[in-house]
Amino acid sequence: MTRRTFSRIPITLRVALAMGGLMIVLGLVASQQVLRSLSRLHDDRLREIARLHVGGLSVALGPLALHKDVWEIYDTLDRARTASDGQRMLFTVVADDRNRVLAASDPLRAPIDSDATRYSEDASDLAALTASGGAPQVRVRAPLLVAGRRVGQIVTEIDVGDLVAERRRVSLFLLLANAAATVLLACAGYVLVARMLKPVTLLTQHMDSAGGAPGRIPEAEIPESDTELARLLRRFNTMTGAIEARTEAERRLAERERFVSLGRLSSSLAHEINNPLGGLLNTADTIRTYAGRPEVVQSSAELLQRGLLHLKDVSRAILEENRLDRSGTPLRPSDFDDLKLLFEPEATRKAQSLDWTIRADGAALATLPAAPLRQIVLNLLLNASAAAPEGGRIGLDVTAQEDAIELAITDDGPGLGARDLDRLMSSVPVAPGGGVGLRLVQDLVAGLGGRIRHHREAGRTALVVRLPSGRA
Amino acid sequence: MRRRQVIAAFAASAALSAPPILRAQTRFRLALTPVFLDNDARVIEQLRAALSEGTGQDIDLVQRRTYQEITGALLDGSVDAAWVCGYPFLQHKDQLSLLGVPVWRGRPLYRSYLIVSAGDAAERIEDLRGGMHAFSDPDSNSGFLVTASDLARMGETPDGFFSRTLFTWGHRNVVRAVAGGLVRSGSVDGYVWEALSVVEPDLVPRTRVIGRSELLGFPPFAARTDRIGDADVAALQRALLGMNGTATGRAALDLLFLDRIAAPDLRLFDGIALRMAELGQDG
Repeated sequence: MTRRTFSRIPITLRVALAMGGLMIVLGLVASQQVLRSLSRLHDDRLREIARLHVGGLSVALGPLALHKDVWEIYDTLDRARTASDGQRMLFTVVADDRNRVLAASDPLRAPIDSDATRYSEDASDLAALTASGGAPQVRVRAPLLVAGRRVGQIVTEIDVGDLVAERRRVSLFLLLANAAATVLLACAGYVLVARMLKPVTLLTQHMDSAGGAPGRIPEAEIPESDTELARLLRRFNTMTGAIEARTEAERRLAERERFVSLGRLSSSLAHEINNPLGGLLNTADTIRTYAGRPEVVQSSAELLQRGLLHLKDVSRAILEENRLDRSGTPLRPSDFDDLKLLFEPEATRKAQSLDWTIRADGAALATLPAAPLRQIVLNLLLNASAAAPEGGRIGLDVTAQEDAIELAITDDGPGLGARDLDRLMSSVPVAPGGGVGLRLVQDLVAGLGGRIRHHREAGRTALVVRLPSGRA
Repeated sequence: MRRRQVIAAFAASAALSAPPILRAQTRFRLALTPVFLDNDARVIEQLRAALSEGTGQDIDLVQRRTYQEITGALLDGSVDAAWVCGYPFLQHKDQLSLLGVPVWRGRPLYRSYLIVSAGDAAERIEDLRGGMHAFSDPDSNSGFLVTASDLARMGETPDGFFSRTLFTWGHRNVVRAVAGGLVRSGSVDGYVWEALSVVEPDLVPRTRVIGRSELLGFPPFAARTDRIGDADVAALQRALLGMNGTATGRAALDLLFLDRIAAPDLRLFDGIALRMAELGQDG
């Protein structure tokens, strides 16, 4: 299991698993300790048994080995074998000081006068005796001493099958018991931890509810105790409320920004309406003065009609811009005409020239919704106009590409500041003020799945909005 | 020795007023050679009971490791009488007298057996050359003298003929040594071997008899000649000879696989004397 895989597991399970792991380690350590003690105990017992056997025999056999009394040695061994408790003594050899067999409990296996080395060489001394090998019999050797002089040695095979079996049985039982205890502890740990972390699970669930937005935790689900976690949940609810309030405020702000752009245009638009009105009033006077001259009346009426139509267009464009329920309307080439009509007076007021290029047909434009598009373009044009100097140049270039519409708004102003770029290019929180509706543009472009690029080249600032087709 | 003990006992009784010690010193002591059942307390007790009843006094049965110790104790008066082997009896026949001879299977006679382990292929004593051999006791007729004199007839000695000889100080031990494979062959009392085959059916079948001697005088009961006239010795002899007449005596004889104790006849031991002569010993 890799680190990544582990980190993907829910924290409740992870903590429980960690707890289970710790319990297993604990169980292993405990088992190991107990097994070691058991092993030591068994070895002690084995050594005690061997000491009793060999010790008693060697005291009795020492003088007999000194006198090389074959019969007495055999007799002692034979009686010891038959009297041995539970026939523990399997085989014993007594050798003289040159390690020749004096007698053995089984003379056929170790004949008198044969070499005893093959019995003694793989035998262990009394102190080094251990049952850990698991062999059902052990071979132990001990010197035969008479008055401190070594007169021979005794090698004996002791049946430790019962000890080994008991050791195995106890070990198995111990391991099983420990395994069961470990599993029990791990399960209990899991339940306990899961219970303790229930508020965390609750928090996680509500954090992701309603498509990624945090949702309120019902008061009934919050534990009644005043633990840290309960306080955490209540604090979470408070924060959720704050986030909702903030979202609502942002929404209202965006709504307001829509009117800000029109507000900015109001003086230009007032001129746009006011200027023709003077001409129209003159024309009305002309009609009244030359009422008897049909050709003058005719031409003045046409002039009047053209002026009124222009006013009608302007007011329609303003109304169109303000309509709130046009979200479903697809974008049309006439929307750009409206935008031009609305924006041109502003540019004219500042003696700015306008490069207006629409290189997209109706079908390509219709894949996008009209309302956000108009808002985006108008806001960016207003910002460009504000940035460009008197007599500067502003450009709009709309191009249809294979799967997207690109809007390029250019100006020859000094360029966007860091704060304005933050507003436009990212969704980090920003202080109010600065460029008009840039955050609104950012939100709208993001809502349409588009991207904004910014580059500055040869004294011109360019903002390119790329919007994928098919969002209408 | 005995007198000295009695004096010591009197001295002790005078000083400590301890009658039990005094009484203990007056018991009649009968020594037993390591006969077949010398390790069976039941047999010893039954024999003691029978002889105590027969003599009308408490009898102490004394056991020693070797024949030599028994003979020595008998000769120096440490014991009052003994069940000895015919061979040491003949060695000391000028000092000892017979009290009775046990009758086994109808005759006061027995044989010496030459045994090997059940799986051994040997058929005759000649096949045993170079092997290890177990004797019972150097003062035993059946457990030493017979085989030694057989070898002498072949111009051999035990130590020359066998690779190693050892004494096991008991006929039963000879059977154990052969059955356990400690030695290849052994010289054993035929009466003991036959009795053991009934008493210890696990032990004896592991051996096989390859040689039987001629019939020889059964190990007798003997006392020092100079004490034959003593009342307690005479009482013992009466008890021995009349053992098959009492229930207790009969029970003891049954445990010993004996018919009765017969009146002594020195001629029974001529065969042993002959073998002794062959070894250059004065029988």
